[in-house]
Amino acid sequence: MSRTSKIGWIGGLALGALVAGAGLGIAQSGSIVFTSWGGTTQDAQKQSWAVPFTKKTGIAVKQDGPTDYGKFKAMVESGNVSWDVVDVDGDFAAAAAKDGLLEPIDFSVVQRADLDPRFVSDMAVGSFYYSFVLGFNPASFGEKAPKSWADVFDTKTFPGKRTFYKWSTPGVLEIALLADGVPADKLYPLDLDRAFKKLDTIKADIVWWGTGAQSQQLLASGEAPIGQFWNGRLFALEQGGTKVGISWEQNLTAADMLVVPKGSKNKEAAMKFLAEATSPEGQASFATDSGYAPINLKSPALMPKNVAADLPDQHTASQINLDMGYWAAHRDEIGKRWYAWQAQ
Amino acid sequence: MTVTDATTSTAPHAPSASSRRAARGFAPVTPALALVVFVFVLPVLALLLRSVLEPQPGLQNYEAFFASTTYLKVLGNTFLVAGTVTVVTVLLGFPVAWFLAIAPGFWSRLLFAIVILSMWTNLLARTYAWMVLLQRTGIINRTLIDLGLISGPLPLINNLVGVTIGMTYIMLPFMILPLHATIRSIDPTVFQAAALCGASRWQAFTRVMLPLTASGIAAGALMVFVMSLGYFITPALLGGTSNMMLAELIAQLVQSLLDWGLAGAAALILLTITLAIYLVQLRFFGFGQARS
Repeated sequence: MSRTSKIGWIGGLALGALVAGAGLGIAQSGSIVFTSWGGTTQDAQKQSWAVPFTKKTGIAVKQDGPTDYGKFKAMVESGNVSWDVVDVDGDFAAAAAKDGLLEPIDFSVVQRADLDPRFVSDMAVGSFYYSFVLGFNPASFGEKAPKSWADVFDTKTFPGKRTFYKWSTPGVLEIALLADGVPADKLYPLDLDRAFKKLDTIKADIVWWGTGAQSQQLLASGEAPIGQFWNGRLFALEQGGTKVGISWEQNLTAADMLVVPKGSKNKEAAMKFLAEATSPEGQASFATDSGYAPINLKSPALMPKNVAADLPDQHTASQINLDMGYWAAHRDEIGKRWYAWQAQ
Repeated sequence: MTVTDATTSTAPHAPSASSRRAARGFAPVTPALALVVFVFVLPVLALLLRSVLEPQPGLQNYEAFFASTTYLKVLGNTFLVAGTVTVVTVLLGFPVAWFLAIAPGFWSRLLFAIVILSMWTNLLARTYAWMVLLQRTGIINRTLIDLGLISGPLPLINNLVGVTIGMTYIMLPFMILPLHATIRSIDPTVFQAAALCGASRWQAFTRVMLPLTASGIAAGALMVFVMSLGYFITPALLGGTSNMMLAELIAQLVQSLLDWGLAGAAALILLTITLAIYLVQLRFFGFGQARS
């Protein structure tokens, strides 16, 4: 046994040396690792941000994904951080900043004045901003078109499965409360009892989507002809020639944030990448490709008019901003209850 | 671990000779053992340590686990799914293993190739294929509706049915292969002897075939059951949230809630139960076979 463990230690040291060597190699050749959620969104981020960035600076951008908060936390805690820029949910960005998992943004490199103040903080800059919208498959409902969140809970008029985002993040609870008649300005603090009670009424009809691609598949196949979607994923479906119905009534906005994990080995290059990603051109190009809205205030002027007209920032009449501050403070408590409710 | 158990317990040789060989052959195994220790045992130990150290030292994570009806339900579900899958794989796998053992060369090789090929195909691809087949707008439901056999789609996915179908399919080779090895090692003349002594086909099956294959069934069933207990991808894709299994819960605690203490506790509970089942099986079948 002792012999085994001795050999193990030596093997481990050799392995460690190899890994360290590889790490040095990466640092010297000037490259960063960008991690996002995969699919059509990350493709657009690569084309709009990484390709021009590498052309300008010579720094290569390696793509990784999908974002995984468990991995994120493990990397920072172990000090072995292999991600340099990560696309995360807004509530995670706020909670991670509080827990000391992030590097502060260098605003001598990133132009803070150009960015939408709703989507920038000392520790994170917006990646893009999206809306949760009501999406439906027009083939499933004939002439009737669902409009409000209450319609998603109306299984008599709009029969079939409905689909919602599976994870405990801002969105579904707000939708349930709005459908139950809570006025938009009275949403927070969330009445959790009431939200879960409302969700109970359609629980058997819910199919959860865990990834954007899954949500597209569920809607396009008619498996779940109505539900809550990221507006960009519906945009991508339409671009692919699928007929999609969208209602922007009470669309719920939030931003994905770009963060640099504490202990990143390529901090300087990461900040330069953030500057490129949040630049007017980078944001305009990404928004044109993805259908999500830019967080740089100068970008809409650079975009084709017809595309700019269909972005979340054009649907502000009944728009509601999801409250990331509230969520960051109650993330754990809501999460526990959410998953317990799902498993019941 | 379960793999070595399956092969040794089904091997017809005397165990003493093979254990001597194992002792002499230990040195070449050390690199592999070292790798397992470093990339598997140590990380698992680290997670288990967190279960008694986070958020503060103590057993509060275990108390929280057993005090929660949700977690207990998930634990119960895990056993329900693993048990169902094991029973179904035995029922489906036995005839296949038997056919493999007695069929003429060509057919036996062809069937063997199909079984092995399915194992080599990417797990995710196979699971997605089942999604396409089983969903409400999938091929099975569409065909049945078009034939007029049902009026609305059957709920085949996002529930226990979907998980059982998907997992049974993936686990079948792990039942068929050890069972096939056992059946092949049976001397065919014992069935002739049974017939000569006046046994009916049913008697030959229950009183000769089943006792002789019991060790193979036990080895296969144990492997399938233990693998099923910790299964993640297939239940996550084909099951619903209300029949979640423990591995999914652990992933959720690690990735989404960042509650690694509770995740470690859940992992240790699963590991303990798995080891206990393994020891019981070893006691009743492993040693039992060595005596016979």
